[in-house]
Amino acid sequence: MKKYILKRIVTSVFTLLAILLILFILMQLMPGSPFNDEKLNNDQRAALYAKYGLNQPVIIQFFKYVFNMLRGDFGVSYNISKNTPIAQLIQSRLPISIAIGGAAVALGAFVGLILGVTAALWHDTVWDTVATIISVIGVSVPSYVFALALSYQFGFQWRLFPMLFSPQQMVASSVLPSISLSMFTMASIARFTRSEMLEVLGSDYMLLAESKGISGPALIFRHALRNALIPIITVLAPLIVDLMTGSLVVEKIFAIPGVGSLLVNAIQSNDYNVVIALSFIYSAMYIIIMLAVDILYGVIDPRIRLSKSEA
Amino acid sequence: MKKNAQTADMTAYVPTAADFCLKNNAGEIAIDNNFAAQSFWKEVFIRYFRKVSAVFGLVMIILISVMAVTGPGMNKYSYSEQNLLQKNLAPRVHALEKLGIFDGSENMHTTTGTKKINYYTENKLDNVYYWFGSDNFGRDIWTRTWSGARVSLIIAVAAAVIDMIIGMSYGLISGYFGGRVDMVMQRILEIVNGIPRLVIVTLLLLILKPGMVTIIIALMLTEWVGMSRIARAEMLKLKEQEFVLASRTLGAGSFFIIFREVLPNIIGPIITQVMFSIPTAIFTEAFLSFVGLGIPVPQCSLGSLISEGFNSFTTHPYQIVPPIIVMALLMLSFNLAADGLREALDPKLKEV
Repeated sequence: MKKYILKRIVTSVFTLLAILLILFILMQLMPGSPFNDEKLNNDQRAALYAKYGLNQPVIIQFFKYVFNMLRGDFGVSYNISKNTPIAQLIQSRLPISIAIGGAAVALGAFVGLILGVTAALWHDTVWDTVATIISVIGVSVPSYVFALALSYQFGFQWRLFPMLFSPQQMVASSVLPSISLSMFTMASIARFTRSEMLEVLGSDYMLLAESKGISGPALIFRHALRNALIPIITVLAPLIVDLMTGSLVVEKIFAIPGVGSLLVNAIQSNDYNVVIALSFIYSAMYIIIMLAVDILYGVIDPRIRLSKSEA
Repeated sequence: MKKNAQTADMTAYVPTAADFCLKNNAGEIAIDNNFAAQSFWKEVFIRYFRKVSAVFGLVMIILISVMAVTGPGMNKYSYSEQNLLQKNLAPRVHALEKLGIFDGSENMHTTTGTKKINYYTENKLDNVYYWFGSDNFGRDIWTRTWSGARVSLIIAVAAAVIDMIIGMSYGLISGYFGGRVDMVMQRILEIVNGIPRLVIVTLLLLILKPGMVTIIIALMLTEWVGMSRIARAEMLKLKEQEFVLASRTLGAGSFFIIFREVLPNIIGPIITQVMFSIPTAIFTEAFLSFVGLGIPVPQCSLGSLISEGFNSFTTHPYQIVPPIIVMALLMLSFNLAADGLREALDPKLKEV
């Protein structure tokens, strides 16, 4: 097991380095420069390039960047807010995106599980149909449509929640964005939970557990749901990253100062360092969560732990 | 038993001429089809049409496609024609206006309350009808919605088909050769997958000129990963089977085996995946337009229409409703149709 985890960590690190290099090369291919102020003459521009080390070969810039990054220094922003360290720029925005995304994931997973379990336990009844309809709609309708509908009804018509995000009312103004982001997660989790639970409920070991006299919640949660969890976690993992790093459109609708809007601003104004830093954070989160999921499999299902330690 | 007893009682039977005639009862004969061999696609077809939701999805897709082709030509307006004297008019339809709906009136919210106003009667536009209303520049929303649906559909279908070709080839090759080739190809895949989609798409849109082709390329670059995974998994399942071995024994080359022997056997899951990737493409395109990286004006797609409508959705909600409904219906129908197709192709598959 230890060897397996170590191997996974090493490959993850190399994947991340490769992603960094590709991002670097892509940035070099981008048209324009970060200093496209018309008042600058060529000498001044060259001086700026020299100051930030942009006149050196790509490969040297790359190693310098990786070296600095390991010490927690992502460089400074060239354009969005001049000379602000990027760590600082992201620091204020990342928690907001993570908080709203986290709330959305938690809500979506929770409601989705309940819907899925309900549909499976009362299979082929009205509850099943209702849960299926909700999940089909949730998968098909984009999150920003929900966002618009919710902000129109609850924000504009009934004025229950603020239409725009404000840091003073952190909780109240996160409600609508979180709900609209959670719809897709909820629907996909509900679909998968239902099909997995149906399969588990029909299995022999459930019959055994039942005949041993186990019933009620213990039967469902300890015996059925635990076995259904593996595929559900696989579906949930990439969704978590997507939601944590913020859905751009929902951020735009509710005017949330998250990382998504920062990324678009940075790309549009050629702010290389910000783009690389954000993309890298996104990639790192993705790879770390994937790694965590792989290790989590072993915790949930001992059979996987065994077969992987042998391999 | 009873019959035997009867025949024993009777005297020897003398056959008549009628016994040697055909009965002409073709209509009464029931042929047992249960165990008869049927063509695979015919069975798929029958199973697909047995499912109500799948048929609904298919009908809606056809309906919206037909409207996307004919809709923009159904009235006298064009998608880019502006008429600033007739801007922000609410929907008004010929027959329905007499029923009190779609009569061109809208509610205006002010601080003192809501008030019902009708710009058509106020501005003496008696013979002007905008079926879905007009937008901020006086453009007909009906025409724009359907031409937007057309653009979105073209982008989505093109992207899904190109995805299929690239992802399928990549996955099949990676799965077939296995070993070191597979390892390298899968590592590349992991790296590509690790870069945020948005970064790839935005960089591409900045390097190339914004437009339909660029969006198709961007969608193609990001969506092929899922397709290649499916193709690889299917290949791993099939490549050890006897028919592949037989083909190899007969001297078939790798590429013949991959594309002529294995591919026809996995076409089902691949088509299903294409159907699923179309709504994803529609969504991604809408999302790009919403962020401002989509189709350049005055052309429009469903996403750019929603984005435009968003700016005034509290004052003129009717402007955002048609594109949203068309897009939601389109995505719903493709999902339902794809679900139905998946079940029809593989009835043993567990229900998702």
